[in-house]
Amino acid sequence: METDPEYYVSGVCAGNRKILAKTITLVESSLPKHQELITGVLNRLLPFTGKAVRLGITGVPGVGKNTFVESLGMLLVERGQRVAILAVDPSSTHSGGSIMGDKTRMEKLSAQPNAFIRPSPSGGTLGGVSRKTRESLLVCEAAGFDVVMVETVGVGQSEVSVASIADFFLLLMLAGAGDGLQGIKRGILELADAVAVNKADGDNLAKTLQAKNIYADAMHLFSSDNTNWSPPILTCSALHMIGIAEVWETVLDHHEKMSATGALEQKRKKQAIQWMLTLLEEGLKDWFYQIPEVKKLLPQLTWEIERGESTPTAAVRKILTSLNN
Amino acid sequence: MADSGPEISKWQKLAEKELRGTSLESLTKSTPEGIDIKPLYTAEDLENLEFVNNLPGVDPFVRGVRASMYTNRPWTIRQYAGFSTAKESNLFYRKNLAAGQKGLSVAFDLPTHRGYDSDHPRVTGDVGKAGVPVDSVEDMKILFDGIPLDKMSVSMTMNGAVLPVLAGYIVAAEEQGVSQEKLMGTIQNDILKEYLTRNTYIYPPEPSMRIVSDIVGYCSKNMPKYNTVSISGYHMMEAGADSVLQTAFTIADGIEYVKAALNAGLDIDDFAPRLSFFFGIGMNFFMEIAMLRAARFLWADLMKQFNPRNSNSLMLRTHCQTSGWSLTQQDPYNNIIRTTLECLAAVLGGTQSLHTNSFDEAVSLPTDLSARVARNTQIIVQEESQVTRVVDPLGGSYYVESLTHSIIQEARKIINEIDELGGMAKAIVSGMPKMRIEESSARRQARIDQEKDVIVGVNKYQVEDEAPMEVREISSEVRDQQVARLKEIKENRDNVAVEKVLAAITKCAETGGNLLEVSIEAVRKRATVGEISDAMEKVFGRYVATTQCISGIYASEYQDNEILASLRKRTDEFAEKEGRRPRILVTKMGQDGHDRGSKVVATAFADFGFDVDISPMFQTPAEASRIAIDNDVHVVGVSSLAAGHKILVPELIASLKKQGGENVLIVVGGIIPPADYDFLYDVGVAKIFGPGSVITECANHVLNALENR
Ligand code: B12
Ligand SMILES: Nc1nc2c(ncn2[C@@H]2O[C@H](COP(=O)(O)OP(=O)(O)OP(=O)(O)O)[C@@H](O)[C@H]2O)c(=O)[nH]1
Ligand SMILES: [Mg+2]
Repeated sequence: METDPEYYVSGVCAGNRKILAKTITLVESSLPKHQELITGVLNRLLPFTGKAVRLGITGVPGVGKNTFVESLGMLLVERGQRVAILAVDPSSTHSGGSIMGDKTRMEKLSAQPNAFIRPSPSGGTLGGVSRKTRESLLVCEAAGFDVVMVETVGVGQSEVSVASIADFFLLLMLAGAGDGLQGIKRGILELADAVAVNKADGDNLAKTLQAKNIYADAMHLFSSDNTNWSPPILTCSALHMIGIAEVWETVLDHHEKMSATGALEQKRKKQAIQWMLTLLEEGLKDWFYQIPEVKKLLPQLTWEIERGESTPTAAVRKILTSLNN
Repeated sequence: MADSGPEISKWQKLAEKELRGTSLESLTKSTPEGIDIKPLYTAEDLENLEFVNNLPGVDPFVRGVRASMYTNRPWTIRQYAGFSTAKESNLFYRKNLAAGQKGLSVAFDLPTHRGYDSDHPRVTGDVGKAGVPVDSVEDMKILFDGIPLDKMSVSMTMNGAVLPVLAGYIVAAEEQGVSQEKLMGTIQNDILKEYLTRNTYIYPPEPSMRIVSDIVGYCSKNMPKYNTVSISGYHMMEAGADSVLQTAFTIADGIEYVKAALNAGLDIDDFAPRLSFFFGIGMNFFMEIAMLRAARFLWADLMKQFNPRNSNSLMLRTHCQTSGWSLTQQDPYNNIIRTTLECLAAVLGGTQSLHTNSFDEAVSLPTDLSARVARNTQIIVQEESQVTRVVDPLGGSYYVESLTHSIIQEARKIINEIDELGGMAKAIVSGMPKMRIEESSARRQARIDQEKDVIVGVNKYQVEDEAPMEVREISSEVRDQQVARLKEIKENRDNVAVEKVLAAITKCAETGGNLLEVSIEAVRKRATVGEISDAMEKVFGRYVATTQCISGIYASEYQDNEILASLRKRTDEFAEKEGRRPRILVTKMGQDGHDRGSKVVATAFADFGFDVDISPMFQTPAEASRIAIDNDVHVVGVSSLAAGHKILVPELIASLKKQGGENVLIVVGGIIPPADYDFLYDVGVAKIFGPGSVITECANHVLNALENR
């Protein structure tokens, strides 16, 4: 592994694919020496970041995220844009390993010279999905990509992380069999800048249009805190490339409006501050559990609670006061 | 255990005594199909079985589709073959016919299957390697030179490029002076299973189903003696399906074709009698026999919903092939014995025709010698063993009849599931059948790797020093020859007329009409297979498979947690040391569609704690290398089974180097003849894993190689 930051910085800025790939590997590495190295690299890349449209995409398994990215990616590439895709795949909790088939569903795009697709396993690395993808996104921006898409499976925490990275958070949905919001949590709908009901084709078309109305009604219930943007409900067929351009129009429209009012800059700043706080909390946690006193007290108190000799409140107070002394 | 009357309890006592303490129940074993096999079957097991004691030749045909079966005329010996060039294949066919083979069965090469001419840039490693290349009717004419097509029944395994190839056959016959209504034989034309397991599709399912219907429609009018679809379970079995899955999915495919033809306005009795089947026969002797009987029952039963007037419409006539998957590279002469058993099972199951595999199956295409032994296996069963003397000799066997019943029951459950999904075409889109087959394959591999399923010479009774074997190698000059011929053909035809007829095909694809009819016209004008295919691709597009990845199945079947745990520990340690898990790209290059091995290796490696990338199928070396670079993998694992390795692997390595990937470790698995090992090592391959490799061992080798870098 190359240890000179300059190697990475100049390589990424020159758009060298191999070095771009290696830099992302560094971002994802759990080794302290790699993290130190990448921190330096990122610092120097920072001036070159911020120019891409950052698009977050999520949805339940099978909704068509990869297919959508393939279609939108091809559309952008054909318009002469450079596109990077960061796809997060779940790691197995049993083996720690993962199986990443994203490129089997993005066959055309993955062969395009102006596209870069990097699937990443979700598991095992410090800071979780958000740290890795956030930094990888910056690296891609420095490499000159016009659009960076981040794709995650819509289960659990990851979509919240994506929303905290992206300028535009797109939620893909399906027309369910008459149900309302199929397990998508209210919180996620609140984050979405648009909902696209996918697979609007064939036998499914009528159902999709119906679902669009149901979702539109549901969306009304969430008053967005953003006054000049009300999230639209769209329909598309990722497979047949229908409605994809419209989704992109929406993203651009949002981007223009937000840029014009300065809201975009505000959003990114807010995200950065939020990000700092998250990092701080994580750092605090790590630091806290490494304190010898905590390491000693924690098992002891756990045991006391187990035997009913202490209450959780009392135990916490004891640990915290022990640190004050 | 059934307890009826004094007799059975007497047997139970005797058996228990012999068992010395182990329970009688422990002798009941469950098969991969989920069927419990008891140690003894009696008359009681046949009570209430509706189909027992029927007669052969009558509905529901459990005992056979002909009244006299082999007592009058034996099954047709039909060996699947094709390689190198039309000329060489023709010579091979003629020799075989002279030596006792009765029907022809053409194996096309992979570019032809996928609608590419030999000069296409995506097929540099594939021309003539795994079948015979046919670019135009000129090749077709050479292929059947000296073979009278009005007398010889010809079976053609063609599904993707089915229109130009069937048209080529029709025009070749025409130019031999044989008119269409005299043609007899079979075109496979079974596209559904291509999406499931065989992987030589070209267009998406919907237009492909139209092509099937167009062919059925055209032939039912013009080629009354021709079998228009060969509904195939064989490939599913070879991809990992057990007997119940094979039966259920095949029958469900068949029903889907019937519905498509009915929707196209055909009358059931005009085409149903021309549908035939193709089953794979493995090593579970009685299961295979019972499967064929069960399949005949189910087909007759299900076809009744369409109210045919002709009882031939209920009849499941089938070709069979012994299992190539059951044959080993190790101690290869054992394969002759395996094939003999499988041959016998197919015969006792009542097949109409049969292919028997050669003992060098797991090394290369058959040599003259191995092909002769394979053919003689059937001839000996036919002419020496006397098994043909009685119709359905196993009819009435308590075990076989009961097993037949179990398969019917189990397969019905799956067929009902498919019905609920809206039929097989929809089920395929849902991914269900493919998933089932791959799970079954992963379990099988895990059982073999743990030596629970015995394979002699592979995981038991291994031979130390194996003698080298003669191998058929296809010269790379074949491609040059084909390319030169293509050029010549294109120079000597009326190109304006060709353009016109190709435009007509595109139009027909777009607006309707019979695609076989226009294809025949195009072939007469010397349009090539690739050109005709392209003309339709303009409208239909090319299908890209969605690869689903199963995970956890291999590990769940793995009881020996020690080996699994030690591998997981190794990958954890690797991650601790390197900052990330070992990352491997498993890739398939060229037109090779054998993905059983790559799938099972990928899922197993993920279960060991690797991060596994899988590439799309049909990669060029440049494409595969780019994925390796972008994903920054430690290892590229190439799975190569269709003899493209000597061209594709060096190209991959060169392409990696060009992009700065000289440190990426390369391993290769699949069908690599031992004689080619040094060639691959010399170009930079770190390790080669042939058929029969234990996957846990492969993973350990890969980790070793990574550590020694
Ligand atoms: C199963 C099979 C099929 C199935 C494939 C189903 C599927 N979806 O995979 C079906 C029936 C569809 C099929 C069709 C054809 N087949 Co086929 N098939 C086989 C067969 C019998 C077994 C292969 C197999 O799956 N074995 C089980 C798996 C698990 O083993 P494996 O792939 O070898 O993998 C193991 C190791 O090699 C290693 N490994 C493999 N890859 C990797 C990768 C890595 C990273 C690692 C670590 C290890 C590793 O580990 C695995 C576990 O042990 C072989 C003969 C044989 N016995 O090997 C012929 C064989 C490969 N087929 C052959 C041919 C010609 C064809 C056709 C082209 C015929 C035709 N002209 O139509 C067609 C077309 C297929 C296509 N689209 O490419 C030839 C190839 C000839 C050659 N190489 O010279 C063979 C060798 C048979 C023969 N002797 O004629 N086939
Ligand atoms: N009919 C139809 N099918 C689609 C569409 N988009 C995707 N699909 C199909 O839906 C399946 C899943 O698509 P993917 O793109 O892999 O979905 P995903 O959301 O990335 O799935 P995971 O990676 O499993 O979370 C595939 O079989 C696609 O072909 C569409 O617009 N219409
Ligand atoms: Mg996906």
